[in-house]
Amino acid sequence: MNKRKIYNFFSNKVFLFTLISILAGLIIGAVILLFAGFNPLRAYAIIISGVLGRFKYISYTIIKATPLILTGLSITFAFRTGLFNIGAEGQFIIGAITATAVGYFLHLPAIIHIPVVIISATIAAGLWGGIAGFLKAKFGVHEVISTIMLNWIALYFQNYLVYMDGFQKPGGETSYSIQPTASIKLFGEWKLSDAGFAWFNSNPFLRDLFKTPVNFGFLFAIVAAVIVWYILKHTTLGYKLRAVGFNKNAAEYGGINVSKSMIISMTIAGGLAGLAGAVQVMGVTHNVSLLAAMEGFGFDGIAVALIGNCTAIGSVFAGLLFGALKYGGTKIQPAMGAPSEIINIVIGTIVFFIAIPRMISLLIKRFSKKDRL
Amino acid sequence: MLRKRTILFISVLVIVLVIAGCGQAKKETKIKVAMVTDVGGVNDQSFNQSAWEGLQRAEKELGVKISYVESNQDADYKPNMETLFDAGNDLIWGIGFKMAETLGEVAKLNPEQKYAGIDCFFENPTPNLVGILFKEQEPSFLVGYIAGKMTKAKKVGFVGGMDFFVIHKFHYGFMAGVKYANPECKILAQYADSFTDAAKGKAIANQMYKNGADIVFHAAGGVGDGVIEAAKEQNKFAIGVDRDQNDLAPANVITSAMKRVDNAMFNLTEDLVKGEYPGGTNVVYGLKEGAVGIAPTSDKHVPQDILDEVDKVKEMIISGELVVPSSLEDYKKWMK
Amino acid sequence: MIDNVALILGTTLMYSTPLIFTAMGGVISENSGVINIGLEGMMVIGAFTGATIGYFTGNPWIAFIGAGFAGAIFGLLHAIACVSFGANQVVSGIAINFLGPGLALFLSRIFFDGATMTLSINLDNKMPRPLSGVFSQDSFMYYFLGNRYATVYIALILVFLLWYVLYKTKLGLRIRAVGEHPTAADTLGIDVYKIRYLSVIFSGVFAGFGGAALSLAIVSNFRPTLVSGHGFIALAAMIFGKWKPQGALLACLLFGGAQGITVFLGQYDFKVSSQILSMIPYVLTMVILVGFVGRASAPAADGIPYDKEQKY
Repeated sequence: MNKRKIYNFFSNKVFLFTLISILAGLIIGAVILLFAGFNPLRAYAIIISGVLGRFKYISYTIIKATPLILTGLSITFAFRTGLFNIGAEGQFIIGAITATAVGYFLHLPAIIHIPVVIISATIAAGLWGGIAGFLKAKFGVHEVISTIMLNWIALYFQNYLVYMDGFQKPGGETSYSIQPTASIKLFGEWKLSDAGFAWFNSNPFLRDLFKTPVNFGFLFAIVAAVIVWYILKHTTLGYKLRAVGFNKNAAEYGGINVSKSMIISMTIAGGLAGLAGAVQVMGVTHNVSLLAAMEGFGFDGIAVALIGNCTAIGSVFAGLLFGALKYGGTKIQPAMGAPSEIINIVIGTIVFFIAIPRMISLLIKRFSKKDRL
Repeated sequence: MLRKRTILFISVLVIVLVIAGCGQAKKETKIKVAMVTDVGGVNDQSFNQSAWEGLQRAEKELGVKISYVESNQDADYKPNMETLFDAGNDLIWGIGFKMAETLGEVAKLNPEQKYAGIDCFFENPTPNLVGILFKEQEPSFLVGYIAGKMTKAKKVGFVGGMDFFVIHKFHYGFMAGVKYANPECKILAQYADSFTDAAKGKAIANQMYKNGADIVFHAAGGVGDGVIEAAKEQNKFAIGVDRDQNDLAPANVITSAMKRVDNAMFNLTEDLVKGEYPGGTNVVYGLKEGAVGIAPTSDKHVPQDILDEVDKVKEMIISGELVVPSSLEDYKKWMK
Repeated sequence: MIDNVALILGTTLMYSTPLIFTAMGGVISENSGVINIGLEGMMVIGAFTGATIGYFTGNPWIAFIGAGFAGAIFGLLHAIACVSFGANQVVSGIAINFLGPGLALFLSRIFFDGATMTLSINLDNKMPRPLSGVFSQDSFMYYFLGNRYATVYIALILVFLLWYVLYKTKLGLRIRAVGEHPTAADTLGIDVYKIRYLSVIFSGVFAGFGGAALSLAIVSNFRPTLVSGHGFIALAAMIFGKWKPQGALLACLLFGGAQGITVFLGQYDFKVSSQILSMIPYVLTMVILVGFVGRASAPAADGIPYDKEQKY
């Protein structure tokens, strides 16, 4: 029975198309590398061994993927309700600042502190996202404009807060770091203490693995993905939201409160992106710093959502793929001197092919005709 | 049928790639030095680029093997450090003050690996770590002196990128230099809150020129492109930063406050080759060490007598007779 | 005081110009029924191409047209996906936002010896400033128009032309018909595919011009951060302007004006921090949207792929 199931899974059309798109992205990337005088096979080999070669690399890939999975989920959620959340970037920022502030100013035992930080960051970012939903529902302001504007406002807001006395680390361009009780890093402090150091040194494998900021963030991302999947698939709320996304007018006719659905959807989407910001702060950076430009977590999240076909499970895998490409891609520069921009071209091509399933099915038709000959 | 084929094809491709990846191991005997850029990237026309040029010089003259990794986000620093660690480098550089925390941590975790950081200060550096700092206020003072002497309007301007301590060193060093040369000179200062928005830099510079300033100094990265462009259009003067920016507008950029990250990188690499790596210290580079200064093209616009005076001021700074302020408080004290 | 007003107006024009071009790209594409989120990516490739050709040929006009051409190639790509293959238009646009910058930086490294920044073009080889030297120094008109590049006027002319084409010509009627009711348009014998291809390609051309207006006029080189977000602001302006050329123009001017005011206020020592000042343009846009503009609706068939075989 399992065989059958696995076969069905792989023969799923969407999954197949996604695989073909990824392949197409890699091929186009290879062609461009070839034109530029680099050996594409070597480049990809470096990426693959740079991602899977050691446990440490896998760990980094997961750490890199975690916030992207969450912003991907945020965009997925809004998409399902027919809303385009370009604002994940700003919601991420709001989540990150809130997490830093709550993590630094409050002094609580870890068991309470961690949930308090997560919940407050999620709520703050949810409200931030909710603004766009509210403006759309009440004033008909297109969410694309409002979220773009909110992104910039959030960016300057973060810079404003980082300068505040009592929050800014003196003589730096970052805020104070969160209290250790708010950290979700595994052995964060202990790792650097003498005892921890000695212990890790006696075990090269663990030492290697725990050099990375291993943290619980990925678990949060998985839990969030399951919740998103559950809400969308198995609750009346999810049904209503999807109905609005599918056909606004029909949903309204069917008695669904469209305005409320939009606000709820954007709030949840904002919360998810905020969770991404919180997880990044609690697990990796421990503080927020002055931003000279957008960091791109939200924008990359759009690509993640799209590669994941706007499903919760898809976002997890797409986030991992994205994290792997981004992390592995940095390794081709030092190893062979090829510009790492190639990764953006590969990602762009993958997304492009994902946009055109019809072309892929056309290709498949040809392919299968030859099959019969 | 088709699906099986596709899956087969993909699997084969993946296997081929993995095998190709395994056949790459080679042993190098040369000394290897590598660097992690900050989010500006290696060709930022600023300190990252200068750092890379320093390493390129080391490659040519000292025969070391060099490479770099670029960072796109602050969160990339650590994995990038690890990438270079795994590549088996003798010395790994972190470029930019944002890297300090990461460097401190990785140096502790990898005691056998040598590290160094540009613009980084370490409180208790481990023996495998060197911090390198620049006195940006000193070249800023010198270009401020030039501006104070050359302004006809008795008004000059400063455009900062973002309002924080690194840029303050340029800001207040410059102001002190201007006042030192010309106590009556007024200084307009404005921050763009960006290192990227060239149009905003241009608008701010236009406004300063309109308000009567005739020389504008910038410490603002990409925003500075707009400042220099405004000078070019209105045929006013501008002062560049970090590297000699005269090439951006040969007729208008009279001098630049240069930070010779390349020299610092080269020197330390040379020390490493000689076996004199100064582990566990913070090295401060100023005029004295020849790691900061004014642009060599300054003589195109600045009259020789002013340059002679600048040399005298430079001597005074080097001898310690003149201490240049690097923050608002220092500046206020200095003015008294 | 009056000088300050002139300077703010001047800054407004300077700041708005790249946005206006790009927003017109959005207008033409979306009026034909194809969403174009990829404006940012098209702008980046335009800015890069403009700066590169400008540097190597020394002729701003060839460079400007080249930038439009580069934008057109990406427009064509978007059109192939969206028109011929019924792609999800948002997805294809996002792809272009990855491809544009990726390709621009990649090519820059090849043309400029590993650098992601192109070399500076000197003043004589940049776009001309038609009214430079016409007005006496320090006059109102000097600050307002004296330093403005040809791109400013071209942008304004483009808005007028696009308005004229869309609302006063047969072609415009066809474009709008295709954007509102492609099926009906088809029955009337309009080639929906052809019209959409044309519109989307021109969308790329205009966005490419927008990028070049940055790299050939506002500054004289390309660097990776040059465009950072202008394309998205233009997209917002287009929606703000209710998908109409004249509306988008006003939205772009509003945004540029707010930047002008921010820069103007920034010269004074306020208690308000500069970060809060920097928020002004974005907050203002939202306030105006809520208070004065109200509901916006896209062309009816915007975003819906048209498939001849699936009529009715």
